[in-house]
Amino acid sequence: MPVVDRSHLPIRRPTFGGVVNRTLAGSQPDWNLIGHPTPPDGAPNVLLVLIDDAGFGNPSTFGGPIQTPNYTRMAEGGVKYNRFHVTAICSPTRAALLTGRNSHAVGFGSVGEFGGGYPGYSATLPRDSAPLPRILRDNGYNTAAFGKWHLTPDGQQGPGGPFDRWPSGWGFEYFYGFLGGGAGQWDTVLAENGKIIGVDPRYGDETDPYYLPDAMADKTIEWLHGIRAQDAKKPFFAYFSTGCSHAPHHVAESWAAKYKGKFDQGWDRLREETFERQKALGVIPADAELTPRNEAFPAWDSVPDKLKAFYSRQMEVYAGFSENADHNVGRVIDAIDELGELDNTLVIWIWGDNGASMEGTITGSFNELTMMNGIPLTDEMQLQLSERYGGMEAWGAEIMAPHYGAAWAWAGNTPFQWGKQVGSHLGGTRNPMVIHWPDRVAVGGELRSQFTHVIDIAPTILEIAGIPAPTTVDGIAQQPMHGVAFTDSLRTADAPERHTQQYFESVGNRAMYKDGWWLSMRTARIPWLATPQAIAPYAPGVWDPDADPTELYYLPDDFSQAHDLAAENPEKVAELRSLFWQEAEQYQVLPLLATLSSFFGQLPPLPATTKLEFRGDVQNVLSGMIPRIYNHSYAISADLLVPDGGVEGVIVAEADHLGGFSLFVEDGKLTHTYSMMGVFIFRQQATEPLPSGEVNVRMEFAADAPKPATGGQVTLFINDKPVGGGRMDHTVPMRFSGYAGMDIGRDNGGVVDRSYAAKAPFPFTGTVRKVVFDIKPHLEHEEADLHEATKNADVAHALSA
Amino acid sequence: MPKQTVDVLMGGYLSKDAAHEDFEAVQACGAPLMGLVVVSKGLDGSMEIEQHDHIVKEGAMALGGAGFVVGLFAPPLLAATAVGAVVGAGVGKIAQRKVESALEAQAEQTIPIGGAGLIAVYDHEHAAAIEAAVTRAIKRVVGEATDSHVKAVKAALADASAKMAAPNA
Repeated sequence: MPVVDRSHLPIRRPTFGGVVNRTLAGSQPDWNLIGHPTPPDGAPNVLLVLIDDAGFGNPSTFGGPIQTPNYTRMAEGGVKYNRFHVTAICSPTRAALLTGRNSHAVGFGSVGEFGGGYPGYSATLPRDSAPLPRILRDNGYNTAAFGKWHLTPDGQQGPGGPFDRWPSGWGFEYFYGFLGGGAGQWDTVLAENGKIIGVDPRYGDETDPYYLPDAMADKTIEWLHGIRAQDAKKPFFAYFSTGCSHAPHHVAESWAAKYKGKFDQGWDRLREETFERQKALGVIPADAELTPRNEAFPAWDSVPDKLKAFYSRQMEVYAGFSENADHNVGRVIDAIDELGELDNTLVIWIWGDNGASMEGTITGSFNELTMMNGIPLTDEMQLQLSERYGGMEAWGAEIMAPHYGAAWAWAGNTPFQWGKQVGSHLGGTRNPMVIHWPDRVAVGGELRSQFTHVIDIAPTILEIAGIPAPTTVDGIAQQPMHGVAFTDSLRTADAPERHTQQYFESVGNRAMYKDGWWLSMRTARIPWLATPQAIAPYAPGVWDPDADPTELYYLPDDFSQAHDLAAENPEKVAELRSLFWQEAEQYQVLPLLATLSSFFGQLPPLPATTKLEFRGDVQNVLSGMIPRIYNHSYAISADLLVPDGGVEGVIVAEADHLGGFSLFVEDGKLTHTYSMMGVFIFRQQATEPLPSGEVNVRMEFAADAPKPATGGQVTLFINDKPVGGGRMDHTVPMRFSGYAGMDIGRDNGGVVDRSYAAKAPFPFTGTVRKVVFDIKPHLEHEEADLHEATKNADVAHALSA
Repeated sequence: MPKQTVDVLMGGYLSKDAAHEDFEAVQACGAPLMGLVVVSKGLDGSMEIEQHDHIVKEGAMALGGAGFVVGLFAPPLLAATAVGAVVGAGVGKIAQRKVESALEAQAEQTIPIGGAGLIAVYDHEHAAAIEAAVTRAIKRVVGEATDSHVKAVKAALADASAKMAAPNA
């Protein structure tokens, strides 16, 4: 058997070993030529599961209130890690997970949507960092990803690619899911391989509605069956990355109803209960302490009685949503078991890519995008808006895009402080992990407490598979993986701790870990605030990172970071601070707060295109790729062919009733509806009917001023004649939706104007020849100011994605 | 004879549920009312009007000629958000059907989709009871006057309307 050189990828085809004569006479074939690379003997299947926006204290397996029987099943048949760490924010954890390298070192210091101008924040994977799926694929694995991706920048999520930023470019042979950071679970704008395929036809079906978590499991099982129908032995690598438990928290009522009344005790008591269970289960040390509530979170007792049911419902839905994720992962595990391959499948299941998300602000929201668009709403307003869209009972249904309040997230991160975005503390960075592999790990339910980090996953999988990290890929020398394999800890509880040093950085919140010591350097900014006022103290020349308060913990003795030892150990503080700067320089973390550069005048070039044409049947233009009409005067013009007898239907629509616009014809009249994030809904209708024949219709919005969320006047035209209009006092300053798309000739998924919901997608019954967006530039200096404001809003969104 | 003071309370809501809840609470508080109206618009644009009976008695006369417009509206978005909801009517000594018709016509123009408004007209001596019953309004203003009956209400309506329209009210 020839030795296969796996250090250079792709693996070279073997040299022809046969004989070639002028004819077949005397010639000898070498059938190895038609083979393909195969992994080393014994390389197991790999199922890598990543839950989204969830905390250490969420799953019942780790003492939380959310029932996770499948997670517990895997833990009882495998091992559970209680000192596993992530990066405190979505895309960076995913980049680190899939590359085995520190996130900044591969360009993902922040979220995937918004590439920055510094190497650590470009959101663009460098070619010297071939990711795990590419390595496994080139070594003979089948590879597929299902669910959330979040590693493709905005503006690159359409048919123009570039596709090296899509899952296929990372080495996945098959992808089914969504490219962004969050998605509606009922009306997901889906991508499959290299195409946006839009909302599933079963959306809205009353008897058999589409639901992404179910579909993810279905597709994974279908993919596994397909592989085994072709090849009984080829190992697979399946990356199952749930949209749950990221907002919007969408789940069928039957799941939420399981938790009815379970959170009426409030978040303070919930933390105590979770902590008690964690102690009883032994997933935290017996001497661990419950950290106190920070004043940023309100006491449950301070919540007005009339609002307590509203808050409780938020957590009930989150819990049901999360339990459903456990259920669907369980279905995939069952399918592998039915194939007889569960024993030889390495299941790595991480419950949370960061701590539970506090981005719902204190109140929670009926529409997660309200806070990202800078719309502060009180809890009474939130309650009334949820009533508008069906009441608390509908919190979790498709008509809302809900996110729970920050204090529930804090409770989900029990026993730690803080949560998502806060890289300086364990609430944002420490998540449960379970590993199940009966063929090689037959210990059954033991706990592992080695310090481990998400960058260790790829090296561990490669070590188990017997595949080396390549030194070159496509001829490009590779930067080494920064993680270290923890394979021996799978079998041995007291295996040495191999990951002894690690920096953390998320939006300026920093930590340095070394040999048990953890230095926290948290900025004073409340994680869910990204207003100019909140950012101002971090301006260049104003912010001195070394002047930030520091906290020092010794984690072997202080599991939850309850005892700050900084005052007694100034030398250790200085040592770790110095070490952080070294690592920050080494791994492209610098400049700190590059994510916020737009707040301080460092802006990408102004977009040059102001006129965009959409011809034919263009559909499912993702929300980050629609024309940037925000905060500008603009016109939407459409050339139509209207048959005799009239038409109805949508000419163009973006997103849905929770934020979006629709230009449509109803009752023979041109109509424009604009939803300002579901808070304000404006509608204008022509005063005369649409004629037949070749017709041009136009909607013009004249902005009051070059400022975010500007109001303005709408005028409707038919063949250049004004036929109606009205005023819109406020417009969306940043983004209509986190996921819903724009369509020509119909309104796919959730509709913008509920008056035509029964006829959705309300296709245009004539012909839409083309739709043209014409965005009117402001004066140059105004445009620059607005550009800055828009980028700042993008940052606010990025912090919450 | 002491002068009568008439109050007009206007409340704005993001949902009709909330407005109806306050409508019922005001009705149940026991204080006599000169008028009580809630007007709401559903997500599909459909109007809904609910009235306390007194509006066609004493209240209708009181509202005569006021032609009021109540604005619950939004200050600059990024600074603070309130709500836009408007109730309007030009009603006089007319039958309830006509009152509804007039309300609907103007509310159609002014109530935002998904929004709702409440108007309560009452003698000032009952202000404490009625104001305590209005607990869910996102924005609430009260106008009052002590002039003669009709003029007082008109002034109160104008005052409340102006307050509702003020950016920082």
